[in-house]
Amino acid sequence: MSAPSTLVDLEKVSVRAGAVRILEDVSLVVSPGDAVGIFGSNGAGKTTLLRLIATLQPYSDGVCSILGVDSSTAARYDVRHQIGYVGHTPGLYRELTLLENLAFVADARGLDSALAAEALGDVGLAGAADRRVDHCSHGMQRRAEFARILMTEPQLLLLDEPHSALDANAVDLVDALVHRTLERGGAAVLVSHDRARVKTLSTRTHEIKDGMLR
Amino acid sequence: MSTGFLHQSSTITRRDLLRERRSGEVLWVTLPFGAIALLLVPLAIGTDAPTLQRIGPGMFWVIVMLFGVLIAIRQTNSETTAQRDLVALTGLDPAAIYVGKAFASFLLLLVFEVVLGAVTIALYDVSPSGWLVLPFVLVLAAAGLSLLGTLAAGIVATGQSATALVPLLVAPLSVPLLLGATQALEAIRLGRSSLSWVLLMTIVVLLLAVAGVLSARPLQETA
Amino acid sequence: MTTTQHETTVWPWIVMAAAGLLTFVASMSVSPDVVQGQLSRIMYVHVPAAWLAYLAFGVTMVASGMYLWKKDLKWDRRALASAEIGVVFTGLAIALGMVWAKPTWGVWWTWDSRLTLTAIMFFVYLGYLALRRTTDALDVRAKRAAILGVVAAVQIPLVHFSVVWWRGLHQAPSLIRPEPPEMDTAILLTLLLAVAAFTAMYVAMMFKRIELARLDDRVLVAEQTSSGPVAGEAVTAPDIARGS
Repeated sequence: MSAPSTLVDLEKVSVRAGAVRILEDVSLVVSPGDAVGIFGSNGAGKTTLLRLIATLQPYSDGVCSILGVDSSTAARYDVRHQIGYVGHTPGLYRELTLLENLAFVADARGLDSALAAEALGDVGLAGAADRRVDHCSHGMQRRAEFARILMTEPQLLLLDEPHSALDANAVDLVDALVHRTLERGGAAVLVSHDRARVKTLSTRTHEIKDGMLR
Repeated sequence: MSTGFLHQSSTITRRDLLRERRSGEVLWVTLPFGAIALLLVPLAIGTDAPTLQRIGPGMFWVIVMLFGVLIAIRQTNSETTAQRDLVALTGLDPAAIYVGKAFASFLLLLVFEVVLGAVTIALYDVSPSGWLVLPFVLVLAAAGLSLLGTLAAGIVATGQSATALVPLLVAPLSVPLLLGATQALEAIRLGRSSLSWVLLMTIVVLLLAVAGVLSARPLQETA
Repeated sequence: MTTTQHETTVWPWIVMAAAGLLTFVASMSVSPDVVQGQLSRIMYVHVPAAWLAYLAFGVTMVASGMYLWKKDLKWDRRALASAEIGVVFTGLAIALGMVWAKPTWGVWWTWDSRLTLTAIMFFVYLGYLALRRTTDALDVRAKRAAILGVVAAVQIPLVHFSVVWWRGLHQAPSLIRPEPPEMDTAILLTLLLAVAAFTAMYVAMMFKRIELARLDDRVLVAEQTSSGPVAGEAVTAPDIARGS
């Protein structure tokens, strides 16, 4: 199967929760090499859009094609492993160590478990690999999630508020992740309040307001 | 790199067992809670030895069903949206996730049953009969309860009052398991065949396994 | 936290081994009971284990009270150590009692007041240990546990005097009672020796457990304070960011 020419193709997609419209007629195309920044105020629909692209959010109207498959069909299960999603809240298991969390993902993906320790070292967490997540700061947890991205090398990188809770060193980490993804022929979509930072990183930007993308 | 169904399930099972080892919720909370329940019943209804010997086996199975569901749902109930998203994007088959979770719960439930069984024998002075059939009954009860609890937790997911709602769903649906377990051992005590009851439990377990596997994908999307 | 090797104290292990050996030798040296036979030797472990439970939970109460007054975590560590030891020995006393009861009374268990209240006490302190696992915030954990540690101690006199207030199968107190003990001198001396040995064992166990608790708390504090803006050794600059 050849690589798709577009990685994300949303055509007039709407997401509703009951009578409430969260996203309205959103159209977006993301091709390999694109780094798309999306800005918007709280409640504008940024996170919903990102989860929609991650194939985690059902939609009510339109056509949504992610990595060449219609995300409303079962084919989405075949491409999910190519998506790297770092949400606003860390998805780590609090009782496990940082290394165990990454080793779980490596195991699930059939990757060499040594990659987990290597990835943690790459993000500066080698010394905290055996620390339980509930003993780690939010910034450390975020770094660990970036380590997961390094380890899994996704085609489509989705980052929700990537620069929050990071120190100066780790902020550069986000840039590095995005560049690496683009170099691999992938694409990145970043949602953020940090306009200045994201604009320097992005090939183009959009504004989302009241569920509509401009 | 994709992995086989068995590997995917075992990844989930190992994760759940490791989380349990760290949190100790079953060992330190649910198991003592079940033991306390067995201790409290005679204090309430009277400590007449023949009465306790008669009701002991039944009390054991009721405690297993009611408290065992807490074991089956513990991980799913505490899962955050972010954690569910992470697992969904690993590319693991939802059916494999279901089987992996249920198997972890099954193992913990077996331990739960064995320990509480010993407590019941001690406190109620019960002499269990049917030692050949008993292991099958324990295994089937643990399997059925874990499959049912994992399925129910997946249905309710993060809905309102999830923690109370799942036991409410599971309790009535566990009746065939409860009946099968109690009647199988009662049949042996009376010198009759327990085969029909064991078969009932087996069929229930198989139906639950099929239902759980088939509904795993649709349920992942509604969470 | 320094990286120097922590030196292990050896004397507690020696004391524990010696106490166990002494109890074993003493209990095997005295003649068995005329009626119960060899089964009576269980008493030389069961009774000291029960005594140790009282002692341990009593110390937990005192240490908990001291923590609530002084707010010094060393008292919390002492309360924890004593409660853990108390739970182990309560469980041991119950188990040995059951082993003794089956051939003697014909049942593993009877709903005698002493046995029932001892079992309840066991679960209450299990709950104390479970409560301590709910948070790693040292002061919060210590306060919650201290309150329970003080309240739960009301069970100690209840358990001990239950055989006096309510008639049941379990025999009345042999040692801790207003009248002098009524038992053969050799048996009494052996029992007292066993109680002394177990008490020494308790002291040794407390020492080791408090030592361990102190180390645990140091690790926790180090982890919790190293995750702020000054990251400490655990967090370094990312390698890949430097190269990109």
